[in-house]
Amino acid sequence: MPLFARTQETPSAPVVIVNASVKVQQLSHAQLRSIYMMRQVLWPDGSAIKVFVLPNRSELHLQFSRQQLQLFPYQLDRVWQKLTYSGTGTPPTEVADSAKMRELVASTPGAIGYIETGNDITELQIVHIQP
Amino acid sequence: MTLLSFKLSTFSLKRSLLMLLALNINSAFAEDWTWHGFVSQGLIQAKESNFVNNDGDVSARLTEIGVNSVYKIDNDLKLSGQLMYLNGGNRFVDGARIDYLFLNWTPHNSLDWQFDLYLGRFKNMHWAYSSTRDVAITRPLIVLPQSVYFDSFRDIAVGSDGLALRSTHNLSIGELEFIWSWGATPVSLDMSRRVTSTDVSGETDQKFVHQASAYWRPSDSQMQWGVSLLDSDFSYEKSAVDRYFNGDFTVQRVMLNWRYSAENWELTSEIMQERVNVQGFIFPQLVRNQFAQGAFLLGRYDWSELTSWYLSYDYFIANKDNPSGSQLPVTSGGFIPSYFGYQRDAAISVDHQLAENFRLKLEYHWIEGTGRLGPNVVPDVVVNGQRIHNIWAVQLLYWF
Repeated sequence: MPLFARTQETPSAPVVIVNASVKVQQLSHAQLRSIYMMRQVLWPDGSAIKVFVLPNRSELHLQFSRQQLQLFPYQLDRVWQKLTYSGTGTPPTEVADSAKMRELVASTPGAIGYIETGNDITELQIVHIQP
Repeated sequence: MTLLSFKLSTFSLKRSLLMLLALNINSAFAEDWTWHGFVSQGLIQAKESNFVNNDGDVSARLTEIGVNSVYKIDNDLKLSGQLMYLNGGNRFVDGARIDYLFLNWTPHNSLDWQFDLYLGRFKNMHWAYSSTRDVAITRPLIVLPQSVYFDSFRDIAVGSDGLALRSTHNLSIGELEFIWSWGATPVSLDMSRRVTSTDVSGETDQKFVHQASAYWRPSDSQMQWGVSLLDSDFSYEKSAVDRYFNGDFTVQRVMLNWRYSAENWELTSEIMQERVNVQGFIFPQLVRNQFAQGAFLLGRYDWSELTSWYLSYDYFIANKDNPSGSQLPVTSGGFIPSYFGYQRDAAISVDHQLAENFRLKLEYHWIEGTGRLGPNVVPDVVVNGQRIHNIWAVQLLYWF
């Protein structure tokens, strides 16, 4: 597969998942955007948020960015690069695919990520995104 | 700031960075430590201007290398630093430097309000590209629009030693962000010569720079609006043998910022007015108050997943009451040509992703006028002897 070819997985709608330790059950689009722009770094109980993302070439990442964050992936990239090279934040952790995303969110306290609807969510919690 | 305090400040920053590195080594591979960097090297030619060099030859002085680290001391306290090496020819001072080194304290971080304080040497966070203007992968162009991002002033405008805060709010009308900063930058003789005159020998001191900005990203919109304000005072103390006199300078800037983002293209614009007040310096009785204006419109189009095109038009006038610069030869006794009163720059650029974290960028600028070529106070009328001059550049970028 070419290095930057978009994966043809035609996923169903993305669903936001968090580690079982996270007490939050719903977020607004703006709040989720703050988390993925790495400005919101703590959950309400004071624990650290650990953010996971899929690669830009992932169709699921594109859908998640558009539908849940209401941003294009290049806008996210720009925010993360600005944080990284101005010292004001750190970028999220990129994972290879949904299976790895699911595994790491389940095993990392405070983690947040996204997978396709209909996936096994054992040991995970779904966060509902409100308009 | 005196030379001694500048040296002490630099020494203190270096010592702190070493402590940061020591912390990093001790906690290698720990989750609380992250590090990143970038390397970019290019070729550039600016014929018939002193933008890069004085002979107009092709130059490899287009080097940007940096490595940075963030150490998480606690959930609400971080230490960040970046070491950088720059070589831009005449554009800014060559060599290694501590680009930033600051403590970031987060006293409030709730789902709808994030508040951060920065103490130390931090980047200018107030303009669209100011905080990462030296990091090639974050820049749309190799040479940014000079009306706003005047390279001769880069070393002074790029950051400050002081205190800054950022407050971001999620509201029903969208996202609001406020940034405030107060500080100063040590001004070396080399920096001073790029800004004021090539033959100054006295001491320039930035007394303070005070900046504030606000950004609004409306809900359900792909637009962003911003306004930023800057106020800064400088003084010049002549040396024992000096052709110039003691002087005071005030620079004040008001700037508006706008961006529209679509899926495959984006437009960004910044428009500014800058007041420059000079008292003394050239002769003791001089009082000069001048309002410069500038604006750029920059568009990006994603041709494919790997290739993006950029078009930019940048416009600058040094004196809003004399946009053609026609008074310059009159007031300078014929020394300064009228084309030092403005600068218009049309640029085209393309970048292509060669591999993951490798990018190639090519660029061409058609420029009329020399109003944004340094030095600013006493211009170089010998090298910058042409009204029309061009720049081409090619740069290879790597980042991690």
